[in-house]
Amino acid sequence: MSAMLLSKEKWPEFVGKLTGKSVWAPQADGAEICFAPVGENEEVILDYNNTRVPPKGALFPQTETMFKFEIGSNQVEEPQLDQDVVVLGLRPCDARAMSIVDKLFKWDIDDPYFVKRQEKTTLVGLACNEPGLNCFCTSVGGGPASTEGLDVLMADLGENYLVEALTDKGKALLDETKDFLEDADDDAQKQKEKLAGEAEEKIKRSVQTEGVPEGLPGLWEDPLWPRVSASCLGCGTCTYLCPTCHCFDIQDETEGIDARRCRMWDSCMFDEYTLHTSGHNPRPTRKERTRNRINHKYSYYVDKFDVIACVGCGRCTNLCPVNIDIIEILRQVKEAL
Amino acid sequence: MCKNPYIPHTATVEDTWYETGGDRCIKTFKVVFDDGKVRDQWSHLPGQCAMIGVLGVGESMISISCSPTEGQFLRFSVMRMGKVTQALHELEVGDKMMVRGPYGNNFPVDEWQGKKILTIGGGIGQAPLRPIVEYVRANQDKYEGLTMVYGARTSNDLCFKGEFEEMSKCDDLSCHLTIDVEEEDWQHNVGFVPQMLLDLDPSPENTIAITCGPPIMIRFVLENLKKLGFEDEQIYTTLENRMKCGIGKCGRCNAENMYVCKDGPVFSYAVLKETPEAFA
Amino acid sequence: MDLELLRKTAAEVAARDDVKYLLGWKQGTYGYRVAPAFVEDAAGAAELIFSPLCTANLATYLTLVEQLPVPRGEEPDNRKVALMVKGCDSRAVTQLLVEKGIERDEVVVIGCPCPGVVDSALLAEKYPETEEPAEMKWDGEDFLLTRNGEETKIPRDELLAEKCRLCRYPNPVVSDEMLGDPVETWEPGEDKGVEEVEARDVDSRWEYWMEEFDKCVRCYSCRNVCPLCYCQDCILDRLNPTWVNRSVNFSENTAFNIARAFHLAGRCIECGECERVCPANIPLGKINRKLARDVRDKYGFEPGVDPEAEPFQASYKPDDPEDFIL
Repeated sequence: MSAMLLSKEKWPEFVGKLTGKSVWAPQADGAEICFAPVGENEEVILDYNNTRVPPKGALFPQTETMFKFEIGSNQVEEPQLDQDVVVLGLRPCDARAMSIVDKLFKWDIDDPYFVKRQEKTTLVGLACNEPGLNCFCTSVGGGPASTEGLDVLMADLGENYLVEALTDKGKALLDETKDFLEDADDDAQKQKEKLAGEAEEKIKRSVQTEGVPEGLPGLWEDPLWPRVSASCLGCGTCTYLCPTCHCFDIQDETEGIDARRCRMWDSCMFDEYTLHTSGHNPRPTRKERTRNRINHKYSYYVDKFDVIACVGCGRCTNLCPVNIDIIEILRQVKEAL
Repeated sequence: MCKNPYIPHTATVEDTWYETGGDRCIKTFKVVFDDGKVRDQWSHLPGQCAMIGVLGVGESMISISCSPTEGQFLRFSVMRMGKVTQALHELEVGDKMMVRGPYGNNFPVDEWQGKKILTIGGGIGQAPLRPIVEYVRANQDKYEGLTMVYGARTSNDLCFKGEFEEMSKCDDLSCHLTIDVEEEDWQHNVGFVPQMLLDLDPSPENTIAITCGPPIMIRFVLENLKKLGFEDEQIYTTLENRMKCGIGKCGRCNAENMYVCKDGPVFSYAVLKETPEAFA
Repeated sequence: MDLELLRKTAAEVAARDDVKYLLGWKQGTYGYRVAPAFVEDAAGAAELIFSPLCTANLATYLTLVEQLPVPRGEEPDNRKVALMVKGCDSRAVTQLLVEKGIERDEVVVIGCPCPGVVDSALLAEKYPETEEPAEMKWDGEDFLLTRNGEETKIPRDELLAEKCRLCRYPNPVVSDEMLGDPVETWEPGEDKGVEEVEARDVDSRWEYWMEEFDKCVRCYSCRNVCPLCYCQDCILDRLNPTWVNRSVNFSENTAFNIARAFHLAGRCIECGECERVCPANIPLGKINRKLARDVRDKYGFEPGVDPEAEPFQASYKPDDPEDFIL
């Protein structure tokens, strides 16, 4: 399907047409912008750099019921996931992250919750015209107009959005809303490419990944790890706000006789992440945990799935309370290699 | 919805008994799946584990300590350590246990055909080794011999005592028991397992050595096996780590680039040598 | 603040035989960031700064550093830790001494009288940061921002951090060495943030906090950065029994945050770090400052000021008020 144009004036109607689906889009939440279900007449904000919390919750919610049961019985009831969801206006890095995590959730055995949500979710991305201060998507295989993981890609051309369907699901969405779309000409296409090129030029910070996945294991005892992890607080900010981080905990929770087994985000930076019941902890200090995190993203994931598990969104750097900067860490890694 | 691997199956406890006493006692469970289809479709090999638990409390990854040759049931030997194992210990005959699996890779018992098998266990480390022993005994004509070395701190800490006493009387295998400290009425060896291994002086020729037990014992056993001339590829052990999903999704059980629940728990020393985190 | 004096002192202290390392602030990797520095030699000391951007409370590292079991044959490293503190940070050190979280001879305190730091989020909003690290100085009553070579004078009131506006102790209350002269204290402002919530009725307050705690992602940054949250086995983490479920929803989040606030009552020294680090921008300062004020008003007690004081929650006087006990 060729590219279409959606004028910004028609945008609210376009959103309104997506009835019957739950629409997740960036909305104002006090001073913050975050992805939330769009209610009637609620404004969707597309003029933002990136949200603090990535929309990975659409496919992998922070807390998810796996099944319900009653104490004393051994019958379980699985949750119904019937709602179709459209995530509007996510950045290409966040969508690419979902396709990276997809590889693990479908490794050998399909994770039923992730897969079911993915089947029911359409991802409509918005290409970036301005990178953030700590964005480095181009260093790790992404880009401001990357299409990986998206069903539809929109580009902000000023008065209009250029809208391209990339998958069957995307085509179906655009079919539904075709009343608001017009054909786009080559100029619009060229303008989008020009904007994407300009955005790429504006990316100031970068990392060198050549040789890093192969070389990282060799740096096991390198003094760079105690150096970069000395100030780490061991909180979960970098992991929870990372679009590719996917580790979770499974807990049984009871309230009277009602109970459920649920899973929730967990962080490899927490002390108790690998704590054995015997008291032994193979990663007792923040040095080991930091080393494991960087190795996992830039080496182990590459070993298994051929892709670096980092999309260069910069959130970990932006939000780390003590300025532990992944770009700086990788610079030191490259230096040590 | 595609089949949900997180949903456990119910199994009934057919038999259960204590192997050891004390605070961290070990209880063995013999369970049978309630659903006939699950029973028939189940297939596992020595070395694999299963996630067992109680609904409302949680699950634990425990090695299956029986060989498929023994029958259509599963055996688990569980040490009482924390919340989940405590709840498991409260199960008696007739109670239900939730089981899902089998997970992990297995000891390559079929590749080992034609070789001599040497198992070296300590304490509850014998639980994952027991299925190898039973498998080899059930397929005796395919293996060149079976030697077992097993020890614990005291005679009360030995698992599978009855089975061992019976095995030490058999001709088809060589069974060596040891405890750390001298005890009255103890008929067998006294001494640490690694030392006993050295004293036995097994030949590395055409032999596979598999060891499992407390980390300190494994360290010295590995040292001694190398002293005896065993090659890295001839030595196998199992790793354990905290696990939650059992199927390679939740991320916590990795030892460097290997997930212990999927790429393990069985590893040959040739692989572990290159993995400093495995010895953490 | 004389930077030369700071760096020279730091180098001297770090070089001492009985000091393991010195904690200070150094320029971050971009924009307005300032990173904690672990200084062991003169080269590290040469990077240290003290500017209105140095909001971080370094006292948290006194109890954060893991004490691993020492291998056989090795002696534990019992050398002191030196750290640079502002007024608020020094109160954390004093409170830790009162609670016996640390011993006086385990630390070397280098006091930095502080005229007040900036609210970095507000700064970045009004004066967008660039990838080049920027610098800031105190310039009389104002701040002087140097960004990409350009200097901008900013009036103090525009950017002063809320915690500084309310500050009662800009000069360190404990120190082994004091860098520079004490600063003039100022009249602490009114705590409008707390007053605004207090002015609401109970239902409206509940609604307010419901909205805020819904945003919580349970990253535990607030707990980890707090110098006075240092329980080895935090009860809010424990799963056997589970006091607070790990699932993230309004109910569990409220339990976590309120329990933490209660555990800090009479101990919180109002350094404002919890609020600064929260990635969801929850106004945690309001809760902790309210409890701190209640303790001040009802019991006349301020934590972290007198190293000889008895811990508030571990002592009582026979004539303590009881009117609120049902």
